[in-house]
Amino acid sequence: MEKNSTKAMIITLATIGIISAILLTFVYQWTIPYIEANQEETRRIAINEVLPTAEEINQIERESQIFYEGYDSSGNRVGVAYQHSGGGYNGPIELMIGVDLEAEEIIQISILNHQETPGLGARITEEEYKSNFAGKPFGDYVVVKTPPSKTMEVQAVAGATISSSNTTRIVEEAVSMINNAYGGGS
Amino acid sequence: MSEFTQLVLLFFGTVFVNNFILVRFLGICPFLGVSKQVETAVGMGLATTFVMTLTGAATWLINTYILEALNLPFLQYVSFIIVIASLVQFVEMFIKKTSPVLYKSLGIFLPLITTNCAILGLALLIPLNGYSFIGSTVFGFGAGIGFTLAIVLMAGLREKLEFGDVPGVLKGVPVTLIIAGIMAMAFMGFSGLITI
Amino acid sequence: MSVNAKQLISDFKNGLWQENPIFRLVIGMCPTLAVTNTMVNGLAMGLATSFVLISSEIVVSLIKKLIPGDVRIPSYILIIATFVTFVDYFLKAFYPSIAASLSLFVPLIVVNCLILGRQETFASQNPVHRSFADALGMGIGFTWALLLLSAVRELFGMGSMFGLQILGDWYRPMVIMVLPAGAFITLGILIAIMNVVSKNATNDTTCH
Repeated sequence: MEKNSTKAMIITLATIGIISAILLTFVYQWTIPYIEANQEETRRIAINEVLPTAEEINQIERESQIFYEGYDSSGNRVGVAYQHSGGGYNGPIELMIGVDLEAEEIIQISILNHQETPGLGARITEEEYKSNFAGKPFGDYVVVKTPPSKTMEVQAVAGATISSSNTTRIVEEAVSMINNAYGGGS
Repeated sequence: MSEFTQLVLLFFGTVFVNNFILVRFLGICPFLGVSKQVETAVGMGLATTFVMTLTGAATWLINTYILEALNLPFLQYVSFIIVIASLVQFVEMFIKKTSPVLYKSLGIFLPLITTNCAILGLALLIPLNGYSFIGSTVFGFGAGIGFTLAIVLMAGLREKLEFGDVPGVLKGVPVTLIIAGIMAMAFMGFSGLITI
Repeated sequence: MSVNAKQLISDFKNGLWQENPIFRLVIGMCPTLAVTNTMVNGLAMGLATSFVLISSEIVVSLIKKLIPGDVRIPSYILIIATFVTFVDYFLKAFYPSIAASLSLFVPLIVVNCLILGRQETFASQNPVHRSFADALGMGIGFTWALLLLSAVRELFGMGSMFGLQILGDWYRPMVIMVLPAGAFITLGILIAIMNVVSKNATNDTTCH
């Protein structure tokens, strides 16, 4: 078999390809339990952050979306958590939001993933920005640069208006999705 | 917002706001290497744009109908790079047949398109973005045009710089990088223009 | 097969300075500019790249006689892509926060011209022990260069090193340093300084 014949080329590439696929299948099987555990852990921490008074979390599916209902020790539903993502300044922003459906308020948000600029947009993960949403009634929000004077105003991170607006928009969408699934609709 | 408007915004967003070289840092190798003359830069840019547009389309197809359908996410890098290498091979043969002059002037840079981080970077972004088939193709096209824009601009500047008086130690790579930095700062001005 | 210690040491030292991938050969640029915004990221990327470089140089050197010339580049790329996938899943499983900060740039190690270049210029023409020395030297050279670049960027851009606050509250960070523009400029200045130090200029900017 000549070194450079088409047959030799195809056999070489096919062999490498097959060995590669087999090895990677093993790597995948080995690592996937850890990867899923990591994701589960991140989600659990986020849900606890946005539904602080919940003792028990039930995962249910509605309208082909997954929601996490939180119940306190007496079995009362304290809120519903939902994971939503959307476009940020540098890439997708993924957040977890907890809402109180009875009071029609947001309990808290938690940023799961983002690629915003460190020192600027990345500060959406800090309490100062997130606290904008604690106890916020459902509705349309207005992003402002000064401390909010009206209930529906959200103060942007200094120097990161775009990241802040995008996050606010994602929050509004998430609330909408929850309301649609739970028959509210605002 | 109509789908067409969305696509147009996606295109401009990818060319300027999220320019692959100056904002996303993808495609630096050829950016520094091919940008010495405007003519070569244009040829390289167009060849890359062609490959990127096809890559956008092909990766969406592979991701949707093979990787996701058969649950083989771990074969992503291997399959994408095979697609890219094949596309580049195909483009090389195409250019060789249709324009031997262009083929000769691009020389070694044609096969090097395979190792252009911008193309693999583009392929990797497609599953993450959730655009449609057309959206992914437009995304690829925009990425290519943005790439071409950046290297042609850089080539224009470097051609002028040949006649300038660059201090010894800065000659060559350092001054190119500094210019790139200033260009990147200029492109920061586009941020927020379009949200995609 | 004779093992010449002196030659091995020279193969190893080559990548540290003389043919330092970032400052002299100017290859492997994409990750260099993108992930050197913090020292942790720079170190992680350096180590990940070194692992892929060492593993692929060893494999390529072992099977170099079996690969027909015309398909050598695609073969090298397949081998590299396999090791990169391994590193990616390994990081996601055991170091998820690093995997998240490096994100896209781990798979981009596949097209890092440094790794492909070393297969072509070294591993495919040299025995395994020399390829290992070369890969180790290049890997360490790449890593220390990344660390230097990220040290400058993190210190001036955020006032910290490895996440530990070094400069106090009096210091107003130059955010531009952690942005693309700052990366380009810092690297440009560093290479200019290297040129002064070594007296023969870094000129080659072709990805090889």
